[in-house]
Amino acid sequence: MPSEVMTRLDPKSHAAAKGMSDLSIRNLFIVPTIVFLIVFNIFPLLYSLGYSFTDFRASTNAPANFVGLQNYRELLNDPFIWKNFSITAKYVLISVTGQVIVGFGLAMLLNRSIPAKGLITTLLLLPMMLSMAVVGLFWKLLYDPNFGIINYFLGLGKFEWLADPDMALYAIAIVDIWMWAPFVMLLSLAGLSAVPKHLYEAAEIDRAGSFYTFFRITLPLVAPILMIAIIFRTMEAFKTFDLAYVLSSQPNTELIAIRLYKMAFQEWQTGMSSAFAYIVLIMVVAITNIYVKYLNKVKAR
Amino acid sequence: MKKTMNGMLAGVALGALTAPAAWAEDLVIFWAEWDPANYLQELANEYEEETGISVTVETTPWADFQTKAFTEFNARGSAYDMIVGDSQWLGAASEGGHYVDLTEFFDANNLGEVMAPATVKYYAEYPGNSGTYWAVPAEGDAVGWSYRKDWFEDPAEMTAFKEKYGYDLAPPATWAQLTDIAEFFHRPDENRYGIAIYTDNSYDAMVMGVENAIFSYGADLGNFETYEVDGYVNSPKAVAALENYKKLYGYTPPGWAKTFFVENNQAITEGLVAMSMNYFAFFPALLNEATNPHAANTGFFANPAGPDGDQFAALGGQGISVVKYSENQEESMKFLEWFIKDETQKRWAELGGYTASAAVLESEEFRKATPYNEAFYQTMFKVKDFWAVPEFAELLTSANQRLYPFIIGDQGSAQETLDALAADWKETFKKYGRGQ
Amino acid sequence: MAGVRTPREKWTNRTAIAAVFLALIIMLTPIYWITATAFKPRNLATTIPPTVFFTPEVSPFVKLFTKRSQLREQPTQEEYESAPWWEKMVVDGGEKVVRNRKTGEVRSSGYSDRFKNSLIVSIISTVVAVCMGTLTAYGFSRFKVKGEDDWMFFILSTRMLPPVVVAIPMFLMYRVVGLNDTHLGLIILYTAFNLSFAVWIMKGFIDEIPKEYEEAALVDGYTRMQAFFKVVLPEALTGMAATAVFCFITAWNEYAFALIMTNRNAQTAPPYIPSQVGSGLPDWTVIAAGTLLFLIPVAIFTFLLRNHLLRGMSFGAIRK
Repeated sequence: MPSEVMTRLDPKSHAAAKGMSDLSIRNLFIVPTIVFLIVFNIFPLLYSLGYSFTDFRASTNAPANFVGLQNYRELLNDPFIWKNFSITAKYVLISVTGQVIVGFGLAMLLNRSIPAKGLITTLLLLPMMLSMAVVGLFWKLLYDPNFGIINYFLGLGKFEWLADPDMALYAIAIVDIWMWAPFVMLLSLAGLSAVPKHLYEAAEIDRAGSFYTFFRITLPLVAPILMIAIIFRTMEAFKTFDLAYVLSSQPNTELIAIRLYKMAFQEWQTGMSSAFAYIVLIMVVAITNIYVKYLNKVKAR
Repeated sequence: MKKTMNGMLAGVALGALTAPAAWAEDLVIFWAEWDPANYLQELANEYEEETGISVTVETTPWADFQTKAFTEFNARGSAYDMIVGDSQWLGAASEGGHYVDLTEFFDANNLGEVMAPATVKYYAEYPGNSGTYWAVPAEGDAVGWSYRKDWFEDPAEMTAFKEKYGYDLAPPATWAQLTDIAEFFHRPDENRYGIAIYTDNSYDAMVMGVENAIFSYGADLGNFETYEVDGYVNSPKAVAALENYKKLYGYTPPGWAKTFFVENNQAITEGLVAMSMNYFAFFPALLNEATNPHAANTGFFANPAGPDGDQFAALGGQGISVVKYSENQEESMKFLEWFIKDETQKRWAELGGYTASAAVLESEEFRKATPYNEAFYQTMFKVKDFWAVPEFAELLTSANQRLYPFIIGDQGSAQETLDALAADWKETFKKYGRGQ
Repeated sequence: MAGVRTPREKWTNRTAIAAVFLALIIMLTPIYWITATAFKPRNLATTIPPTVFFTPEVSPFVKLFTKRSQLREQPTQEEYESAPWWEKMVVDGGEKVVRNRKTGEVRSSGYSDRFKNSLIVSIISTVVAVCMGTLTAYGFSRFKVKGEDDWMFFILSTRMLPPVVVAIPMFLMYRVVGLNDTHLGLIILYTAFNLSFAVWIMKGFIDEIPKEYEEAALVDGYTRMQAFFKVVLPEALTGMAATAVFCFITAWNEYAFALIMTNRNAQTAPPYIPSQVGSGLPDWTVIAAGTLLFLIPVAIFTFLLRNHLLRGMSFGAIRK
């Protein structure tokens, strides 16, 4: 980028400013969003933070007692909670990896002249247009060993997708991949079509192998937008609730969000669940932060 | 295809034409989305005809019922005037100050005697034996069993059964017989299975199922007055009961790891099992030829007795409470006064509601009305329930965490499982300063 | 890619097309199954072997729109004959149509009202989120903002808390200001939810629009504002369309907040559809019909924007 452009676009420069100054335009564009998001998030965040140090239960009229860090201590000492964390980590890993492989693979396949490309792309997007809860219900029917069509068409007999403790988490991840791989596909497709053609042509002239072309040209250029897709999918996978809750109640599939839901809305341990939420939030922020740092590095390249 | 399109358009048009829900009603009752709520609406319509005060029954899916009700309570919301709440909520809702104290109303109308004793004890009174009442028993319910009459009455099966077990094949009178019959009919290669039981551990389903065994074996979950659990929930009787429940899991159809009322009814309609556990309230669907191809061959029996002759069943059902934050408490009380009248209760039963009124339950007319009413009548006088303390959900969570791995995951022994559960519960009660 | 020349490339292309179609079949089988189930008689929904050929019925759609209850007494021949065609369908399915006793009006299941609520809430919140998101993205893309990365991260972080945690404080807050069970309440909620996504995606697009375009416009005497509306916005339009599709999908299907924050006035359809499991036996045909009808608006919306979606996604084209 020529540096003169940058200086001209500097908000302090009034060279190009007729009408509103750049500074006021910037503020006009940015401030409402920031204020809106702060107002909207600050209350829930403070509320949860405050109660996370108490034994408050929203279901009773009993006053909240300050208990210090006891909630955090209890949670971090609960073996069931640690199990929830490791299950969630495993789930996020399987599900997001699956989505990236399937989604990116589809995008690679679609990134050529294919008849009815627009229609095919729209059709491939259909799974992500459905509501999670309904998807869970239907896949439970499809997976059913007694009258589901999956076992029937795959000839698996009475294979227990959801009742087998070792299989259940994969079965849920498969549904998540089915539903959200199209999202990764669409963003990857965008990244792929942004790769300048002349780079491929140059590679071809150099007789570079397709392997080399993929890892040296395609992947680096698609990486930024792929990273955005991964960030959003990771965040969502961490929060997975409806899908897993409807499909399975195996202890091996009890994700953090499910435990959190039970604690907050069945047991009404508001204080404890707020502390739990903060632990989760800190983890997600940390993980996302690593991603975003990496994204910025990728972009800088 | 064109025909289909037309039909679909007609469907859409129909949707647009149906009466827009009028929200100008005076009273709102909140309940879960199921048929009894429709019957209650019909009953309420008759109230409107009499008094001119309209009553709307608002519903939400079962899975979200508790969440939605308590969210509303906790925000001191006045969206609902009355609520048909689960029996386990009594502790939380009364201590939380969400329900209006109905003790005076109860005593004035002598409801302790008008309603079946078990329903008064579990749907209305909290804490146990305190003489304080928070609800009017409305929809009685308990766990019973449905079975395939045609399988049981097949002469070949009867002979084979008698040969193998030495007694006649008939609806089981004891848990031992129940287990024998489940084993007998469990034939995976014929796509026939022994039994359908509750296994869903996301809320109270599996625990209710296990309770049927524990109670009938003569054990208890604990002492409801002193909150002692050690020696109750892990007593030898309770251990034997849990072992039996786990044995039954071995005779369930494949994939039977997250099942509740829907799946257990399907087990019958799909012709999968010989016997299926379920709440009485869900049995009407099994009598309907259109929804159950085996309707004519479906029979019902009460939860069988344990080895020592004890016979109990897990309680379902709900009572109507008046919400403390309602702006129409007086009108609500008037509705309840009307609701408890003998004629109303009779009408309630006719419409399909499971009345808790002792007089109606005992009447010949009621007991003959459906093939399962007799079993229901018998059961309603021997039911027991889960803890109703405000922290019941935490107790449920521990039970789910301990029981599920043993029953479905085959981990540990019944004794270890129940010892661990007793320790968890003791810990929880200690946390809330109960007993000691 | 344009010119396919060598036989090898031709072969690769054919394999790719075959693979795409295979993937299409796998991805669409569950959708096909939902569609087929929506037109099946109830007893064919769970047969094994699966029923593939059947005479389509509209009874699931009729049931979807009417309030029904278990048929406990068969109607008399006379009553049955005099009933309209759609009511016969419900009765044949073992249920009766619930009517207002006084007026005899058919009671609605509430699906149509909820569908309407879904449309209102989703459309408005999508428009607001995309517009605000685009402006903010432009602001971050073109101007120096102190701590830009931190602000962007803050915007992202608003989407990290599991909804179950936000729900209780939000519910209390809404009750105080009277926003619960209103369209406006849900619109604000979904806008907040989608805004972070819109800002992030739109920033990606706007970053790719060469700054020289605006420069030229500024030199031509446009104000910054005019340059934004006349030069940048048209270029960003495709990106906005793509973002709108994602935002619309999210708002359209949101379940948890819709369930907790709304009751009879503003509740959207997603919490309603699974409630059909209610009375002891699931009616898969009705659930399928509800799902299918609910899929149609998003599918149409996406299909209409498909060219923008593809072109919008190829924002880098300018770089070629």
